[in-house]
Amino acid sequence: MADEDLLRSQAQELRRGTVVLACLMLLRQAQYGYALLETLNGAGIAVDGNTLYPLLRRLEKQGLLTSEWNTEESRPRKFYRVSAEGSRTGALLAREWEDLVTTVRRLIEENR
Amino acid sequence: MSTLTERYVHEVVRRIPGDQRAEVADELHATIADTVEARGTPQAERDVLAEMGDPIRLAARYADRPLTLIGPELYPAYLRLMAVLLAAVLPLTVAAAVALDVLDHDDAGSAIGTGIGTLFAVGAQLVTWPTVVFALVERSRRSAALAAPWTPDDLPPSGGPSGGGTAGACASAAWNALLVALIVWQHTARPYRTDGGERVEVLLWSGWMGPIVAGLAGMALLELVRVAAGGWSLRLATAYAAAGAVFALPLAWILYRHEFFDPAFLADVTVAPAFYTVTALGVLAVTAGDVFRRFRRAV
Repeated sequence: MADEDLLRSQAQELRRGTVVLACLMLLRQAQYGYALLETLNGAGIAVDGNTLYPLLRRLEKQGLLTSEWNTEESRPRKFYRVSAEGSRTGALLAREWEDLVTTVRRLIEENR
Repeated sequence: MSTLTERYVHEVVRRIPGDQRAEVADELHATIADTVEARGTPQAERDVLAEMGDPIRLAARYADRPLTLIGPELYPAYLRLMAVLLAAVLPLTVAAAVALDVLDHDDAGSAIGTGIGTLFAVGAQLVTWPTVVFALVERSRRSAALAAPWTPDDLPPSGGPSGGGTAGACASAAWNALLVALIVWQHTARPYRTDGGERVEVLLWSGWMGPIVAGLAGMALLELVRVAAGGWSLRLATAYAAAGAVFALPLAWILYRHEFFDPAFLADVTVAPAFYTVTALGVLAVTAGDVFRRFRRAV
């Protein structure tokens, strides 16, 4: 039981940074919070609302996302989209991710 | 939307900075409503709010605030200080209080009562004040760390937080706190009995006692801040100098004016005029020396 908890927390630690990268990729098209959460979970990136929503706000504060309220539908919703800087950062992070995957895969295969 | 969501959103946004409240509230309302609608069950609202979790935790995430009172960097220093205070200062204080009581009343029951009373009263103070100081330092460190990047110049002076400085600072803080306690105690307990059997104070309780006690308390608090910060900085030393001045100047003044002792006490005890001069100069010299040493360690 304790082992399972340990494994889960280690896996969560591994996934932590990937949520930011996934958001920066997905938000090249504007989306609102709940729809983005569904897209992420559908794509296999497990994240909770109470983590994602504050994260979006922080990325906006950091200038990586911009936001706009859409009041055309029955419920006003805040739509997020990557800024020019967010797009650049996303591309750099994506390359970082590729390098990481290559390195870790080599490590795994060499020590199998 | 029913009041459950409204109450939840209110609990979250009242804990984040005022200028962000309205927008975060609107956004939370929208996302919670979206999620509830997608679930479509009667229980959905309760479930969704339960999944969003404790409002305090969510607010801390929105405000990017720590959920700890004392973070990992300060925790070792805090633990060390608590060990000294609770393992050494507290037993000594309780023992001293019990000894005084035995001398005063010669009664085991009264001595035990005083011992237990002192244990809880002094113990509570010893835990509370350092914790408050460390929590404040933790908050100020976070904002300072955001404002300026760390450089090697920020390293604490040699020895560091684990050096012998901690014990010395604890001793200074305990000594100043003891002086404050003695001054207040002689005011409330009136320990001196005159030949006529009347209980009087030793010191003259004038308006000057306020700054003297405040200065001593300030010096004790700054020693605790120094333990938390891991060394004297220029700002800390300046604050210490201010507290020292608030303490020493009024004290030297009332000594110089011969207004130090209570007249009722002086009616019984003769004090040589030289005592006043020597003590006044001594207080000034010792305090100036203390301040000077702290500045030298700061630069």
